[in-house]
This record gives sequence, structure tokens and C-alpha cells, in this order.
Amino acid sequence: MSDAEPGGLRGAIVEEELRLTLVELCRACDAREEEVTAWVLEGVLDPEGDEPRGWRFGGPSLRRARRAARLSRDLGIDAAAVALVLDLMDEIDRLKARR
Amino acid sequence: MKFKDYYETLGVARTATEDDIKRAYRKLARKFHPDVSKEPDAEARFKELGEAYAVLRDPEKRAAYDQVGSQWKGGQDFSPPPGWNEGFEFRGGDSAPGDGADFSEFFEALFGRQSARPRAHRRTAHAAGEDHHAKVLVGLEDAYSGARRALSLRMPALDAQGNVVMQERKLEVNIPKGIHAGQHLRLAGQGGPGIGGGPAGDLYLEIGILPHRWFRVDGRDIHLDLPLAPWEAALGATVNVPTPGGRVQLTVPPRSVAGRKLRLKGRGIPGDPPGDMYAELAIALPPADSEAAKDAYRAMAKAFDFHPRAHLEEGS
Repeated sequence: MSDAEPGGLRGAIVEEELRLTLVELCRACDAREEEVTAWVLEGVLDPEGDEPRGWRFGGPSLRRARRAARLSRDLGIDAAAVALVLDLMDEIDRLKARR
Repeated sequence: MKFKDYYETLGVARTATEDDIKRAYRKLARKFHPDVSKEPDAEARFKELGEAYAVLRDPEKRAAYDQVGSQWKGGQDFSPPPGWNEGFEFRGGDSAPGDGADFSEFFEALFGRQSARPRAHRRTAHAAGEDHHAKVLVGLEDAYSGARRALSLRMPALDAQGNVVMQERKLEVNIPKGIHAGQHLRLAGQGGPGIGGGPAGDLYLEIGILPHRWFRVDGRDIHLDLPLAPWEAALGATVNVPTPGGRVQLTVPPRSVAGRKLRLKGRGIPGDPPGDMYAELAIALPPADSEAAKDAYRAMAKAFDFHPRAHLEEGS
């Protein structure tokens, strides 16, 4: 950990400026690669690229992956159930926004 | 320090089996999980559940807790009897649900901080340090025009004895113009220190926007409730309204009604494309607090053939 630079630290906006690799995403949400891979297979996350090594996670991926990690850890549910919960939560958000 | 009745927290009997405890925890966790729950105190309740479950799911901790706990009731003043936990050996590094670093003083008095370590260890043998996360709230003006903010972050760290201690550090961070709620800012190399000369982890800041006295923020869009006098709404008017970028003159068209939204294109949070600002019209009635004001209302009543409840009448 370094001290703050004189001009203040400059960060990158993850959702707009970054595409995270599988390794980066795993570290950022404290999940194992197998877990993240399972979430991709269940459609929780939709990376660009064809195979795990080439995957790039952009936009809302970090938020979704962190949510998925918390849900599976705290509620003890598998990837398919995580996918269902996140889909239902999205649906609730959509319904609320329409009102 | 108050005694915490972990059985009560989970709503189970002292004789509950491991399965009972797990079932009770899971059921309550689904109800109070901060990602799912609508309960206002979900986060605090979930933390309590996690703490109770961390103790009762673990046969060693539960036995120790039962031994000391049989003499106290929840809420009573409590201090652990000296030497109470002799003869119990706790396995360290047990991962607990939720954020174990936040376990209560009561928990720490019984089990020490090191038993509260939350991290599920990654299997991969990275030499890089752990990534850290923090939530920060910034003002709407900061998101609108960008700003440098001093942040003070508390995080758990291990001291020389392997105990968890809270470390505080201050960071000067540039809040980029146009950031909005729910986005993350990644500060490279500001996370946990690397292992064996590996690079430090990153720090992720989740951005939230502080409530503003006038504006509500929805993604990049900004909403403002704009009260109008009845005659302004009816006849049209040019009114002076605040936007995050400064005050503007807004033209309210004649025959405006309450609830109508006027869009100020591109005056939301900057970006590509920038958000919009919406002024939602409301009609404010002048108080009838003088004879002249009452006369004005009486004149209105006479001047209009107005039936505001026509649609509620029988046969309409």
C-alpha cells in the first residue's frame, strides 16, 4: 500500500473503462474460477470472448458477480439457483422502474 | 457488554440439532440477506444471524457457549468468567457467513478476533495481494463535476500475533466526473499487500450518491419536484430552477397539470450520452389565510363550472 499521490489517486470506472479477465474478476469478488465459470454457463454473467482464458467481463459483471458470490456463500445455493435469484431480482427492478 | 442469546437470534431451542440450526439459519438468512431483503434493518439482522450461526454450527464453539451461556439471559450484562474457555481448542481460520470482521464485542470476548476471520481462501496460489472493497458516498455535485475527496477507510488486518485489528487509512481520491451510483472505481495496487514480493491487490470503491435536498438521482438522470402556483400551471410561466450545473430559466407550458414531467435534455450527470434532468410538476395551493385570499377563492368558485369529482359520480 503506497501513500496517496500528491494529486490524489486516480481510479478507473470499472463499468465503463475496464474489461476484467477471469482471474481479475475472481479476485475482485473472492470467488473461485470454477464458481465464476459455473455462473457464466448458467447465464449469470455474459463475458465477451469464447473460452475462459479469453473472457472479458465488462459493464455490470462485477456487481452481478459479487452478488452471486454473496448469495451462494451466505445462502448455500448452487449456480442454477443463483441465476434464478438474480433473474428474479432483475425482474423486480424492472417492475419497480415501470411504476 | 450485553449477553447475546444466539439460540434466540435463530429462534431455536437449546436442544436443537445441527440440522434444526442450519434450517433456521437458512430460512432467516433468505429473509434478511441484504441483497434480497426489503426489511429496513436487514444488514444488522443478517450480521447477528451470521454471528449466531458461526457459533452454533460449530460443535466446539457451541459447547463452549453452552457452558458459559446457561447462566445468562439475552440482554443481561455480561463479562466472561476468568479462564472460562480453558480446555476448549478452537480451530482457526474457520470461514463464517457474512462479514466476520464485524462480529460483536460479545463474540470477541468469548472467541477472540482470530476466530472471526471471514475469508474463504482462494485455491489459486496467487502471489498478488487480496483485492479490497469499500463503499463510499459522494455528493451529487462531486459526480456532476468531478472532485477530489479525502476518504477514510477502516479495514481489518492481522497484527504480529495473528489477531484481527482494525486499521484506518486515509486516501485522497479523484472522483471522476460522470460517475453514478452503483458503479465501481478501481484503484490499482491499493488493496492488500502482495505475498512474497507479489504485486499488491486492488481497491474497489463502490460509489453511492448522498441524498440531496432537491434532487433525486436515478442512474444518470436527475429528478426535481417543481411546485407551481395554480396560475403558473394554467397560464404558463418561465420559472427559475436549480440544476446541478447552475440555475436555468425553465418554460412551463400553459395548461400544465400536476405529475407532468418536463425534460431538460442533457442536464443530468455528464457522460456519453449525458443523463437528462426531469422537473416533475406539482401544484401548490396558496393558503386562504386572509379575507382577500378567501375572496379570491370565492371568485374562482364562481368563475368556474368545475367538477373535480365528476368521474366518481354514479353512472359516469
